[in-house]
Amino acid sequence: MTRKENRADYPSYLKCVERGGQRAEQLEADRPSPERTRAANEVGSAIAHQLNGPLTALRLYIGEIRQNSDRFRETAEAPDGMQQMVEAAFQETERLCAMMRLIADTFEEPLYPETAAALGRDVISWWSRSGSAEGGDHANAGGPAGAASSPSIHSRLTPREREVLSHVSQGCSNKQGAIRMQIGPRTFESHRARVMRKLGAKNAADLVRMALGERPVTL
Amino acid sequence: MDALQLRDAKRTPYLVKAVARILVIDDDACVSTAIQAILARHHYDTTLSSRAHAGIHALQASQFDVVMVDLFMPGMNGLDTITRIRSGSAVPIIAMSGFRLRNSLDPDQDFLGMAMLRGATTALRKPFSPPQLVAAIDRSLGLVSSTEKTMQ
Repeated sequence: MTRKENRADYPSYLKCVERGGQRAEQLEADRPSPERTRAANEVGSAIAHQLNGPLTALRLYIGEIRQNSDRFRETAEAPDGMQQMVEAAFQETERLCAMMRLIADTFEEPLYPETAAALGRDVISWWSRSGSAEGGDHANAGGPAGAASSPSIHSRLTPREREVLSHVSQGCSNKQGAIRMQIGPRTFESHRARVMRKLGAKNAADLVRMALGERPVTL
Repeated sequence: MDALQLRDAKRTPYLVKAVARILVIDDDACVSTAIQAILARHHYDTTLSSRAHAGIHALQASQFDVVMVDLFMPGMNGLDTITRIRSGSAVPIIAMSGFRLRNSLDPDQDFLGMAMLRGATTALRKPFSPPQLVAAIDRSLGLVSSTEKTMQ
């Protein structure tokens, strides 16, 4: 167990699969439990499910606006560059939609659409809330402002706590996380409890959501 | 919609287009409102329904030329909705879904494919663009008489 050197950057449990000489128990400990994988998948599909509607509407509106945007060129009072902006907005929307398709293909369908919608709303409103903690004025927007708001988590946690959060988000149990960080399970547990207290997470699923919120692009 | 109308629909698509009535069954109001806005610009008359049961009632109470069904809805899911509609009507059905695969164990079986198996005329992957939407509607109106044979 000479893994001290790898401690700082131990991004994925896949790494340990490459190491042939490890004990089976160790391998077992490094793999996220099926429940956690399931939970992460549920959260992911809920987000995808929830974002798909607004994106569909956006793509329809922008597409229609663009089809009629050549009129901007013809009218003298049209502001400068308006047609280019419409074109740019269209391109960005298309990019978002392509990402959305990838995301939807990555996750399985939500188990129950009812809960998926609720969970998705929950996640998105959490994003908005955590954004407003720093950003101020979109507290009750409930709108698109939330997505880019993750930095607030990082600033509130110590490096140690961030490491704990990242292990939890990868699906580690207390025991698995403790093994990865080369600390006792009780110590890991107390770190985790402090992270949850600081972030206001009610349970492990909450924490996973927050960690997912940290890396929305990698979803 | 009776057989005579179906034949007329094929022969004179332009005339039908001007009066075609579309029923959109989707629990997400922002999607159905956008669809309605786009279709209004193409001279379609669109009726919205946020629940499967309400949509089926609307279909029984009034005539529609095309029905668009979202596959994920609270209450009755879209696949069952398609089965219910198909049991009593030959109206063209456009199935909409953001998710493609049903689950990781059976990656070949996708939702939109299943919708087609249950009798949907056309499958439309969300998010879709206005040309895709209008093309799907037009295709549905044109494919009316060969509904049962459109499996791909």
